[in-house]
Amino acid sequence: MKKFIIRIVLFSLFFISVDKLLIFLREKSSKLEVDNRLEKIITGKIKADILVFGSSRGARSVIASQISDSLHTSAYNLAFPGSDITFHSFLLEQLLKNKYNQIPKKIILVVDDTDELQKSKSLKFRLDRMYPLVKYKVIRDELVKRKEKKPLVNELLVSHQLNKSNFLLKQKKFTKNDSIMFCGSMPISHQKKSFDKKFGKVPYEYDLKSELIQKIKAFNNFIDLCAKNDIQLIVVLPPNFRVISNGFENRMKHFVGTKGVVWKYEQSKPDYSDSDNFFDNAHLQKKGAVIYTADLIAYLKTAH
Amino acid sequence: MIFNSIDFAIFLPIIYILYWFVTKRSLTAQNILLLVASYFFYAYWDPRFLLLLVFSTFLDYFTGIRMHDSKNVFWKKAWFWISISVNVGFLGVFKYYNFFAESFAELLNGFGLHVNVWSLQIILPVGISFYTFHGLSYVIDIYKERIKPERNFVDYAVFVSFFPLLVAGPIERATHLLPQIQKKREFNYSKSIDGLRQILWGLFKKVVVADGCAEWSNMIFNDTAAYDGSTLFLGAIFFTFQIYCDFSGYSDIALGTARLFGIELLRNFSFPYFSRDIAEFWRRWHISLTTWFRDYLYIPLGGSKGGTWMKIRNTFIIFLVSGFWHGANWTFIVWGALNAIYFLPLMLTNSNRNNLEIVAQGKWFPSLREVFGMVSTFLMAVFGWIFFRSNDLNHAFTFIGKMFSTSFFKSPKIPELAYLSIFFIIFMLLIEWAGRESKYALEKIDKVKFVPFRWVFYSFLILCVVVLSGKEQEFIYFQF
Repeated sequence: MKKFIIRIVLFSLFFISVDKLLIFLREKSSKLEVDNRLEKIITGKIKADILVFGSSRGARSVIASQISDSLHTSAYNLAFPGSDITFHSFLLEQLLKNKYNQIPKKIILVVDDTDELQKSKSLKFRLDRMYPLVKYKVIRDELVKRKEKKPLVNELLVSHQLNKSNFLLKQKKFTKNDSIMFCGSMPISHQKKSFDKKFGKVPYEYDLKSELIQKIKAFNNFIDLCAKNDIQLIVVLPPNFRVISNGFENRMKHFVGTKGVVWKYEQSKPDYSDSDNFFDNAHLQKKGAVIYTADLIAYLKTAH
Repeated sequence: MIFNSIDFAIFLPIIYILYWFVTKRSLTAQNILLLVASYFFYAYWDPRFLLLLVFSTFLDYFTGIRMHDSKNVFWKKAWFWISISVNVGFLGVFKYYNFFAESFAELLNGFGLHVNVWSLQIILPVGISFYTFHGLSYVIDIYKERIKPERNFVDYAVFVSFFPLLVAGPIERATHLLPQIQKKREFNYSKSIDGLRQILWGLFKKVVVADGCAEWSNMIFNDTAAYDGSTLFLGAIFFTFQIYCDFSGYSDIALGTARLFGIELLRNFSFPYFSRDIAEFWRRWHISLTTWFRDYLYIPLGGSKGGTWMKIRNTFIIFLVSGFWHGANWTFIVWGALNAIYFLPLMLTNSNRNNLEIVAQGKWFPSLREVFGMVSTFLMAVFGWIFFRSNDLNHAFTFIGKMFSTSFFKSPKIPELAYLSIFFIIFMLLIEWAGRESKYALEKIDKVKFVPFRWVFYSFLILCVVVLSGKEQEFIYFQF
């Protein structure tokens, strides 16, 4: 038994030494990213009066630099394609926690009609954006909180902080769909091949039963964080290539209440039923994004 | 509690230390500790079902003794049938009631009679198929006078509920496990090291290969319409390795854990994907269940001793029952029938025992003929697993229809990270090929006398497990 215990202890020491070598990998991962917006939040480098949050619709439809130029203020886009409200809420929390970030005056939250509060295949908490940044404790803590990693082991072993994606030691590159402007926006200048260009004229019902409690909680948390920090919240509904759902709009108004405003584009404007302005049924392409951002700017000029 | 959890990583060393330091002088104390630990292990999942396990254990313990002590044949038979009925009744209620009720309603609907069946909203108690089969074999063996009943309740209860095998096997036999429980165990350094090594290999297969493959097979099976035939084929391959590494990984952890306590469990897998025909595959896949069905169903039915029709009937029965054992779904039944169809030609031509020895024994590389046999058997298994994995028969046929379309020749579309899973599959296969003449892949690694090599190799395996672990993924066979 003594021999067995000695062997186990010696091997454990050997293994812990090997494990520590992975610190190199952990540190290197963040340097391989091209989208460093999340890292900017974590390290306190966000300095803008107006911030945009949302999923791909926020990233592609709202051009922050256009807002900066028109309103003579600073604006930055923090919308991540494929992300949901739980991720947006996490981003805002981190942004406000780090005192080196500037607290924005206004936040534009671009919501997804109808996935914002419902179960969705395409929107999720972007764990893949987290793992390259595991060198930061706040990221590791969030992964533990989300039960992606075990608390004790996470403290003890570097290897447990990592994920298989950390082993793809490849410099990430911009792609045709994911190029980031200096202002954080990600407009696209082409159309999706499978875009059928048929405008959806039939109104649809918004299903309250499909809403998820955790998404509602995150949405309320986002609203409350803005209110507590005196940030003006503007919840905006971006164009789909179909008529808007009144049920969804009313739901947004119900949650936002007096803590913010809900703004939607002018549906009757011909630009929003012109397929040339769209990338696909759910996203604008750059031409459309410029028009939409201009409309949003016009609203911001009037809103106080 | 599951093997790939932190809870188990804490539980196991505590029980191990108590076992070898506190209770080592007394066999009774060792067995009581194992029983308490096993009940705690089971109750950790859901304490309500512990009562069911204790009741089932007590029933078989009691009926076993009564059967043996009965002077009268009538009472012997009566006790036997009470035990069998209650055991099978539990399985029927918890596992198959809804299936039969719904299938019956669908049948009546087919005749235009609309009935509302009463569905039971009950959870399947984990491990029920396994511990029920333990009890059944014990009772049948006593009835057939192959063994005498165990009169020490603790010893019998440990046999039924020994925690490494409690929830997903291997399905033990009283003749094999009970004598080990009745004998005092002594600490053995080599066995302990060997046990840890087998646990490590099992964890690697489960956490690294099976859970990795699960991500891609789920992605592909859950959205069949979105993928080309070639990607669907890859999805089926991923599932083929997922189910093997999930279940054989579990078995490796179970065997390794039992060995830490000085107990040898029955072997459950013997490198089935290196089989050269489907008969060999079934001698190497889920061995404890296959041999259970052979001994308690196939042979009593007459086995292969009767005429051709009897052989065909018995083969179909055993494969259909085996499919049905996995769950109440037509997909499992079709999977069983398909394997019977694979198996029959071999049996009817007396070729089912052609490949009894290990493939390419004593050699590094197999012959071309062996390669052909292994690849064709593997592809047959892959095809069968499509039924096993599909949600229902409609899903399975849609999957197969699309897989065998012209899009089969397009290049598959899988995420970059899926190639990492392919790398781990190849790595696992190479290690298993190198260790195929052993009881498990890493058994003979201590023949490599260069200690740093072994430690670096073990560290690599542990690192992979630690990196890829996090969210605990249940073992597939827990649902059976």
